[in-house]
Amino acid sequence: MEHTAQICIQISGYAQAVLALWILLRCALSMLQEKYEPEVWAYLELPGGSSRAIHHWECILGRSHASDIVLAGQAGVDRSHAALRRDDHGQWTVWDLGSREGVFVNGQKIQRQAPLNDRDELRLGQASLHFMALSDQQRNTLQRNRAEPGRRVAPGGTMFLLTLFQLLILTQHLLSAQATYRQAVGLSFGVLIALEWVCYFFMRSLSVKGFEPETVAFFLTSVGFSVAASSVPENMVKQCFLLIGALGLFLALGWWLRDMGRVRALRWPMGAAALGFLGLNLLLSEAIWGAKNWLSIAGHSLQPSEFVKIAYVYAGAAPLDRLFRKRNLLMFIVFSAVCVGALALMGDFGTALVFFCCFLVISFMRSGSFATVFLALSGAGLAGMLVLTVKPYVAQRFANWGHVWEDPTGAGFQQVRTMTATASGGLFGHGAGNGWLEDVVAADTDLVFGVVCEELGLITGMVCILAVLLLAFFAVRNAAAGRSSFHVIAACAAVSIMMAQLALNVFGSLDILPFTGVTFPFVSRGGSSLISCWALLAYIKAGDTRKNASFALSNVSRKLRGRAVRKEAGKS
Amino acid sequence: MKRIKRRAAAALVLAFLILAGLGYFLVRLAEDGASWAMYRANSSVYTNGILDCGILTDRDGLILARMGGGEHRYADDETVRISSLHAVGDFLGYIGSGALTVYAGQLAGYSFWEGTTAGGQTVALSLDADLQTAAWTALAGRSGAVLVLDYTTGEILCMVSSPAYDPNGEADTSLDGVYLNRCTGATFTPGSVFKLVTLAAALDTIPDLETRRFTCHQTLEMDGGTIRCTGWHGEQTIEQALANSCNCAFGELARELGPEVLEGYAQALGVAGSLTLDGVATAAGQFLPAEAGTADLAWSGIGQYEDLVTPYAMARLCAAIANGGQVQEPTLLLGQDNGLTQLLSAEAAETLGDYMNYDVVYSYGRDRFPGLDLCAKTGTAEVGGGATHAWFVGYLQSGAPLAFAVVLEKGGGGLIQAGAVANTVLQKASEIYSQ
Repeated sequence: MEHTAQICIQISGYAQAVLALWILLRCALSMLQEKYEPEVWAYLELPGGSSRAIHHWECILGRSHASDIVLAGQAGVDRSHAALRRDDHGQWTVWDLGSREGVFVNGQKIQRQAPLNDRDELRLGQASLHFMALSDQQRNTLQRNRAEPGRRVAPGGTMFLLTLFQLLILTQHLLSAQATYRQAVGLSFGVLIALEWVCYFFMRSLSVKGFEPETVAFFLTSVGFSVAASSVPENMVKQCFLLIGALGLFLALGWWLRDMGRVRALRWPMGAAALGFLGLNLLLSEAIWGAKNWLSIAGHSLQPSEFVKIAYVYAGAAPLDRLFRKRNLLMFIVFSAVCVGALALMGDFGTALVFFCCFLVISFMRSGSFATVFLALSGAGLAGMLVLTVKPYVAQRFANWGHVWEDPTGAGFQQVRTMTATASGGLFGHGAGNGWLEDVVAADTDLVFGVVCEELGLITGMVCILAVLLLAFFAVRNAAAGRSSFHVIAACAAVSIMMAQLALNVFGSLDILPFTGVTFPFVSRGGSSLISCWALLAYIKAGDTRKNASFALSNVSRKLRGRAVRKEAGKS
Repeated sequence: MKRIKRRAAAALVLAFLILAGLGYFLVRLAEDGASWAMYRANSSVYTNGILDCGILTDRDGLILARMGGGEHRYADDETVRISSLHAVGDFLGYIGSGALTVYAGQLAGYSFWEGTTAGGQTVALSLDADLQTAAWTALAGRSGAVLVLDYTTGEILCMVSSPAYDPNGEADTSLDGVYLNRCTGATFTPGSVFKLVTLAAALDTIPDLETRRFTCHQTLEMDGGTIRCTGWHGEQTIEQALANSCNCAFGELARELGPEVLEGYAQALGVAGSLTLDGVATAAGQFLPAEAGTADLAWSGIGQYEDLVTPYAMARLCAAIANGGQVQEPTLLLGQDNGLTQLLSAEAAETLGDYMNYDVVYSYGRDRFPGLDLCAKTGTAEVGGGATHAWFVGYLQSGAPLAFAVVLEKGGGGLIQAGAVANTVLQKASEIYSQ
């Protein structure tokens, strides 16, 4: 019997590694390989008589090659002269970006901004252009001809593989779990599988066909469920409720991001919320494992800093018209400094570092200036030195870095065990629930990569890392066809937070970086972390402009079709 | 938007850093994974710090240690247990160079591919339990070491260190260095067996060596001292000088070669400095260059002064001489190939071999070693207070392809004491080989 179970676990280990790779490959093929056909929103007739399609809701007109519509060789045109912006209802606005010679609509010089309608004459300096809005019919035709995701790699097939993957892990758990927990573990995986299919069919019912980012997140969440089932099988029911909450926030935030008007309205409150959370944290929280970042409410502990991430990205990303104002960037830098400083005060240097990485990405995307980044880096370097002198335990971690094998029972305790477990698991692991690293303190959060590698194998561990990187490559690729800079910046900021956490978590526990104790996105156990990861995924979703790919983007073609149907009905 | 699009690539800097980090991690895992996995906290394979899987056998499949299910057992036979103590090691790891510690990764079935495997693996050592027993019995309770290896394969057939204890009982820690494997982990003053090194250097360096005559009047006056010899050898060839183990002749050679040349040969032949056995470093032998022209220099070429060698290094040197100058690097694992190392030129090896055979035929007496086609060198190393380490090193030039080193710590004369132990062990080994 013992022997049979052993062989079952071994075979399911191979199968599960193959499935993990296959799921990743299918998601990657569909997320990175599918041809991008940019949306067309309007045309501009140029002075020579040629015309140029407008692919974004925000674009810049100017002499510079970095402009979306390049007006080379035209007298009186600035490098970045004007911006065009479309709102959610199809109304276009032109913005003067402080040009020398001004912007004229139908001969009228505009103050800062003016609405722009079909066939309006637009003059920048000496360049005269004509703005051609698309008729509903034209738009519909164009939209129909765009490729939909899922033609080449059907998301339903990937979901099926994911379900198999989850069932294999569940089987391994049932073979190794104590009898008292079998029911809870079985139930929780059942809920997980049910939730992902409900989510999938819900999207299908909205004719949303891009489901890969969710599949990736569900994959990582499954691995996280496996870790939780190993280390705290008694908490599995709670884990299910947390996932339901996380999915709820994901859908709500995604829906919220559909409307730029709504998005704009909430930027300042979000900034305030971020600071509020941190303030609350500083005043009320208690220190667990050196960092004062836990808040206990009615017996449940939560980490406010996780929610700050959501608010920080929201407040940090900016629509194009805000991008060109120095004051905005300055405000953002001050805001970021307060956030990072507050985290450092709490002693949560890992999270402070994660925010700082995100700050670097946002500030570079907003300013495009290496000088800003360089300045920020040197500032952070100085602050880091200060930290090392006033917080000796942080300095201690730096001293141990790279020398953990010299003190395997003391300062290197956790890292040495992570490395041992990782090597011991081999490529296919010893079977879910069949490890020993799970019994080490904080194994299911800080050392989670070791637990995954020991129980599910190095291949699955690597797939988890690559899955997060896949989201990053996806977000950056989407930037090319992003509707608004807000969405692009938010998506890139979200993936940079995930990657920074991933790097600190994995490499910290393997003694390649100093050990900081942040969570592995989606995989580390922890309610606050799970919820914030799913919320960050909403930003990535909002950057996906493939046809009918994202519920977080308003589906214009369907809206137009609806409008056309109503018109027909009105006529008859 | 074009700008934002370009700048978005900045987010990928982090992605590429992570990929680089991942690559670095995989390289480290491939290099050090075995030692990471065999850390004693790995409770997949250790229980309370004791390896809990795998079977260790001798070359014929006789079980030397069996672990699993919380049970740990050594060999059934008491003499096998005691004689193999240092080669096998103990479950708790007091004997750090023991096979149980060194090959823990193999016992736990570790591979990059599978990690550790439940139940472990069987690891066959190249040792022969019968030979171990014979060597232990021949030592008869005396402190010392016996090492026998097959010079064609490098496999160690016999590795016995005394004093030892029955690992089923408690270690008698009152015994001197009871945890120490004297074959690889201890160094001894070599005495005359070091003359093989001096001779190897002279063969390469002094052109008329083989036509030269060395005169011995029992003592040789040198700067700051007198070299005493074991007898009045008169006029002799180099061959005779080695057979007589003439200190006057070798003192003269050492003075002529100089400290740097001697040191260079001691290192090149592996008797000075550290060697490895299956990747584990042995104790480091020592050769300190003495001041040129002094009696110290002469003594250093005779294997006294500050010279220290391991029995392992001497057996390895003999294996190289036996194998045409190339040593098949020794191993304790059956079927393991650790590669070849060139120690001597083929000509030097042949000449040394002939001289060592001449020693046996004309000086030691073949009657002492019936039926063995032996090439050997004795050593009686003075270690103060009138005590001497008894050494006997060499190889069989036909029959079983074996090289060996025997040392008896403060055990008297090399030929009489160590030679007798070597004979007993080699007789047994030849018997095993002829089967």
